Amino acid sequence: MNILDTLRISASGMSAQRVRLQSISSNIANARSTSTETGEPYRRKMPVFKAITHNPFGSEIDKNLSRVEVVDIAKSQEDFRQVFDPAHPDADEEGYVRYPNVDILYEMVDMMTTSRGYEANTSAVETTYQMANLALEIIK
Amino acid sequence: MKDLLFDRLHSGLGSVLDLRQKQHSLTTSNVANVDTPFYKAKYIRFDDLLKDAAGSGDNLMKTSHERHFTGLNGTVEEPQVFEQDPAPWVIDGNSVSLEREMVRLKSNALMFRSVTKGMSKRLSMITFVANNGKG
Repeated sequence: MNILDTLRISASGMSAQRVRLQSISSNIANARSTSTETGEPYRRKMPVFKAITHNPFGSEIDKNLSRVEVVDIAKSQEDFRQVFDPAHPDADEEGYVRYPNVDILYEMVDMMTTSRGYEANTSAVETTYQMANLALEIIK
Repeated sequence: MKDLLFDRLHSGLGSVLDLRQKQHSLTTSNVANVDTPFYKAKYIRFDDLLKDAAGSGDNLMKTSHERHFTGLNGTVEEPQVFEQDPAPWVIDGNSVSLEREMVRLKSNALMFRSVTKGMSKRLSMITFVANNGKG
């Protein structure tokens, strides 16, 4: 396990958090999209994270190091919100409009934790960089 | 003849740097997986390693009293990796605490720094002697 692999693991964490932020912005932007290409209202998108052993053939420590990968962007199977609005073009025969299963409050909280996660990874990158520099300074 | 320039202390400091680097990669892996379900935080226990290194191996200092130090062995074997179990109330089964990891990241970097300083001083001592005491 060298410094570059350590940086790569931090980078995988950052890109995973970035994908999460992208799905959150998509959810917020489409919080009131009553129709999509498939015909049904927009479904909340959720990235699925998976820990993957970075180097399965390495030492005991190497086997315990995992990068994170987004293996799927799942669509929420929760029920849609039903609102009575007969004038709406997407209303059904009884006058109900199905709105996306997106809750803005949940999205905002998710956005905060995403931001913290991203921040923590940049902090790890910064410390890795400092340690590499210190190791170079031994021979100075 | 024993190697006077690069003795056991020197290789000992080297292996501490190696261990600190390993702990650092474990911490970055934990931080990267802060939102991965069922991921368990991993870490090395340095106090256990110190206990193993102290008073074991050959070439230890001779003592005439039970409370004298024997010195350290200077080499550390491949460390065991421990896993943190998640708290029972955690829904996603992830045991990474971002605060704990940040503290571990910074304190580990500080220890790394102190060891590099020690090595650097040792090398400048050797340089001093090699230059006939002229800096």
